[in-house]
Amino acid sequence: MLISQEMNNIRNFCIIAHIDHGKSTLADRILELTGVLHTTDNKQVLDSMDLERERGITIKAKSVRIPYKSKNGRDFILNLIDTPGHVDFNYEVSRSLKACEGAVLLVDATQGVEAQTIANAYLAIDAGLEIIPVINKIDLPNAMVDECRKQISDMLGLSGEDALLVSGKSGQGVPELLERVVERVPPPQTDESAPLRCLVFDSYYDSYRGIIPHVRVFSGTLTKGVKIMLKSTGKTFEVDEVGYFTPEILPSARLTAGEVGYLGAIIREVGDIHVGDTIISPDFPDTPAVPGFRKVLPMVFCGIYPISTNDYPKLTMALEKYILNDSSIVYEKETSAALGHGYRLGFLGMLHMDITIERLKREYGQDLIATMPSVIYKVITRRGEKIEELFIDNPSRFPEPNFIEHIEEPMVEARIFVPNDYIGSVMELSEKNRGSLKNMEHPDTRRALLTYEFPLAEIITGYYDRLKSVSRGYASMDYEFTGYKTGPLVKVDILVKENQVDALSYISDKDSAVTKARGLIHKLRKLIPRHLFSIPLQAAIGGKIIAREDIAPVRKDVIAKCYGGDISRKRKLLEKQKEGKKRMKMVGSVEVPQEAFLLLLKMEDEE
Amino acid sequence: MRGLYVHIPFCVQKCSYCDFYSLPNRLNSLKAYIEAVLQEAAQYDQLRFETLYIGGGTPSLVGVNGLNDLMTGLTGIFRIPKLVEATIEANPESISQDFLQSALKQGIKRLSIGVQSLSDTELQKVGRAHNACQAVQAIDLAQKEGFRNISADVILGLPGQNWQSLMTTLECLTGWGLQHLSMYCLAVEPHTPLAANLPGDLPCDDEQADLYWQAVELLGQRGFKQYEISNFCLPGYECQHNLNYWHGGEYLGLGPAAASHYKGCRYKNKPDLDAYLADPCGQKDEVEKLRKPEKAAEEAILRLRLLQEGVDLSGLIQKYGENNIMALAARLNQLSMKGRLLRDGFIYRLKPEDALVSNTILSELLGD
Repeated sequence: MLISQEMNNIRNFCIIAHIDHGKSTLADRILELTGVLHTTDNKQVLDSMDLERERGITIKAKSVRIPYKSKNGRDFILNLIDTPGHVDFNYEVSRSLKACEGAVLLVDATQGVEAQTIANAYLAIDAGLEIIPVINKIDLPNAMVDECRKQISDMLGLSGEDALLVSGKSGQGVPELLERVVERVPPPQTDESAPLRCLVFDSYYDSYRGIIPHVRVFSGTLTKGVKIMLKSTGKTFEVDEVGYFTPEILPSARLTAGEVGYLGAIIREVGDIHVGDTIISPDFPDTPAVPGFRKVLPMVFCGIYPISTNDYPKLTMALEKYILNDSSIVYEKETSAALGHGYRLGFLGMLHMDITIERLKREYGQDLIATMPSVIYKVITRRGEKIEELFIDNPSRFPEPNFIEHIEEPMVEARIFVPNDYIGSVMELSEKNRGSLKNMEHPDTRRALLTYEFPLAEIITGYYDRLKSVSRGYASMDYEFTGYKTGPLVKVDILVKENQVDALSYISDKDSAVTKARGLIHKLRKLIPRHLFSIPLQAAIGGKIIAREDIAPVRKDVIAKCYGGDISRKRKLLEKQKEGKKRMKMVGSVEVPQEAFLLLLKMEDEE
Repeated sequence: MRGLYVHIPFCVQKCSYCDFYSLPNRLNSLKAYIEAVLQEAAQYDQLRFETLYIGGGTPSLVGVNGLNDLMTGLTGIFRIPKLVEATIEANPESISQDFLQSALKQGIKRLSIGVQSLSDTELQKVGRAHNACQAVQAIDLAQKEGFRNISADVILGLPGQNWQSLMTTLECLTGWGLQHLSMYCLAVEPHTPLAANLPGDLPCDDEQADLYWQAVELLGQRGFKQYEISNFCLPGYECQHNLNYWHGGEYLGLGPAAASHYKGCRYKNKPDLDAYLADPCGQKDEVEKLRKPEKAAEEAILRLRLLQEGVDLSGLIQKYGENNIMALAARLNQLSMKGRLLRDGFIYRLKPEDALVSNTILSELLGD
C-alpha cells in the first residue's frame, strides 16, 4: 500500500477496442501481472455480469486501482477504467474517457481495424487523451502485424510503427505495455487545494448503503464527513465512506484530486444523482461542472408491460432501480389498450434494449413483454390552418392519416467494414433495408469500407443481426445519427379477432408495407396457438385491410386414454398446459405469446 | 366401489406405438410372476373389491394354468365372492377355446379384445402380432363359448387409415354383436419405435378429428352411446371397472408399473419385472397425496370425461366438504358462463362437440 500518493504517480487510463478484440482478457492479464489478482480461472474479472460473459461483451464501465512498481523502481498507481466495446454503448465510453488521461487502443492482429475501433479511437482523440496503439493476439498463427500497423497509421492517423505487440492470452508484451502507460500517459493535472470537483462516471445500487457513485476527483479532496453537493440538483449529502475498487471495494481515508474511486453518502432517491453529474462542495456552489460530458439521446423506443397486470408495481420498482445503473435510459408511463399499464423506454440502440430487457427479466425477476422497437418520427400534421410538428416514439400514438401532411424519420450514416467475398450480399441486404450507398473505399486488399445512409428504423429492426449473418460474422458496423428526412411512411395496424392490438402497430415504408404485413400475419398465424374458436388476423392501413389469415379452431386437444395408471401423469400434463397459458398475454379472448410482440424483428431471418 | 387391477407384463411382440410396460420373450418367468403378484396381494389381506380387471401386456398369454393359479390365489386373499364385473384382456393371436372356458369358469365374464383394426395393412404397419382374420375368429370363438359382454379396442389414426377403412372396422364390430368399443386416437408417445420413425401416412390431428366425428356418428346410429371420450357401449354395458377410475374411486394395481389409488394416495409400482420378482412388495413409487381441493379438482376433470353423466357438484361437496370445493365451483361456474360447459342444476357436462378439445377446458379447472 502506498502512503505517498503524489499526482505524478497516478495514471488514469482505459482500454478501448472493437468488440471481441480481447479487451477483457488483456485487463485480466494486467491485474494478474500486477498482483491485484492471483488466480484467474476462465472468469473475466471486469465482466462480472452473467450476461456480459455470455455475450462476450462488457456492458458497464468499472474501474480498478492497481499498484505498480516500474522497471526503474518507481511506485505508481494505475487506475484502469473499463469501457464497453459495442456501438450502442458509446455513451459509456465517452464518460469513461472523461475520467482518464490515456487510452490503450487495442487492435486484434487477426482482424485489423474495425468499425468500432475507429469510432472509439475518434472519441478518445476528441477527448484529448494520449493514445497507445496495441496490436493484440499476436500469438495466433494468422496474425497480420504489418497490415495492422499500416491500418493504424492510415485509418486512425496514429503511429502504427510505434504500436506494441501483445498477447492478452499469454501475457507476452504486457510488461512493456505497463511501462509505456506510465511513460506516455500524463499524470492528472489537478489542484488539491482548489474547491472539490468530481465527475460521477458510473453508479450502482447497494440495498444497505444506497446509491454508490463512482467518481473521478478533478480537484479538492474527498474524505469521510465532508459535505458534498450535486451540481445539477443542488442537493447536499454527507460523505460516510470513500474508497477504491481493487476490484472489490476497499475503504480508504480519502480520495484526492486525480484519483478514481467511490463514495458512500446514503443517497437513497434514484432521482438524486445522475451519471455525468458533477460533485462539488456546498461552500463553493459556483464551482463549474466538469465540461464536455456528452448527454446522449435515446434513439430506440419500446414498451414494456408485465405479463400479469397485477405485477405493475413490481415492474415500477425494478425499473427505478435499474435506471440507477443506466442513466441513459429514458422512461415514462404508458398505457396500452391491449397490454394494460406499462412503460415506454428509450434506449441508445438495439443491443442496449436487448440487454436491458434481458437483465430486467433475469436479474430483477420481471415477467414482461417488450413490444416492437420504434424510432422517434417527426409527424407534420395539418388541421385546417393549424400546422403542427409532433415527435412520436410510439406508432399507436400516430395521428389519423388524413391529418398527416408528411412524416420524417431519423437517418444514420453507417460505416460498414466487409471482407471482399461478402460485399455483394451486404449491398443486397442494405438495399433491401432502404440503405443508399454513399461511398466505397478499400482500406486494404481484403476488405471494403462501405458508407451507407439508412433510416434508423431499418437498423433497429434487425439490420445489424442480418448483417452479421450474411457476412458470416465478418462485417462490422458503426453508425451515427445524421438528421431527419421525409420518407414514404405509413402506419400499419394489426387486428386480432377484430380487435386492433395497439402494441402491434408499426410504421412501414409504403413500398414494402403489403409484403411485410403479409409476412407478419403469416408468422402470427403460426405463433398464436389454435383456440377453441377461429381467429381472423388482419393487417390494415387506415381502414383498408392489406393482409388476412385465419387461425382455424383447434380440433384435437385431448387425453384419449385415461385409466388408473394415467391419472397423475395426465393431471400434471393439464396443469402444465395451464401454466403455459399464464406465459401468454390475453388480448380480448385470445392468448398471445410474448414473442408475437417482437415478431417483426425476426421476420426476415427466416425468409 | 373398489377395483382390483392385475397387470400381466408379457406380450408376443412389442407394437411400435406401445409405451405400456410389457416385455416380449419373458413368458418363462410366468410361474414366478404369478407367485410374486400373490405375494404383493397378500399385503392387502381381506380387502373387498367389486370389480376385477386383468390387463396387460397380453393377459391371454398366461394360459389356463396361469389363470387358474392367479384366480385361486386372489380368491384366497381378497374378499371377492360377488364381483360386479370381471374383465380379462386378450389378443386375437393368443385366444384359445380352453382359455376362454377357463376364464368363464373363474367368473370372468367380460372379455376385452385388442382388435385395433380390421385392415391387415394397418395392423402390419404398427407391428401388431395378429391379422384381421384372427380377430374375426377370436370374436366368433368368444361368442360361441358364451361371452355375452365383449369389448373391442380400436385405434383411430393408424398410419394409412382413412374413413373407408375405419368405417369398415366399426361396421363389422358393431354388426357382429359386440357390446362395447374403446376407440383411442393413436398417440405418438416419446421413446417408442413409432416416434423414432414417423410414417409419412400418419393422419394429422385434423384428420384424426375428422375420423373421430364420423366414427361417433356411425356408432350412434348403431345404438352405441358415447359414455366417455373414448368409450362407447350398448345401454347397460358401461365398463364398471373403468367407471370407478373416472369416479375418483379406490383401486389397487398389482404387478410392475401398476398404479393404485388407496386411502387417498396414488402410487405406482416401478416398471421393472426383475426387481418385482425379487421383491414384489418393495416397488412402490411415485407416491402422491393431494390436498382436498386438488383432489376434488382431479375428480372433476375425471368425471367430466363421462360425457352424459358429467360431474355433480353436490356429490363433490358431500365428499370433500364445501370449503374445499369453493375454487372449483367458481371455475366450473365461470366455464359454464363462458359457454364452455353445460350446466343443469348442480351437474356440469362437457358439450359433446368439445369432447376432442377437452384439454383446453379441463386444464382451466386445475392449478392455482
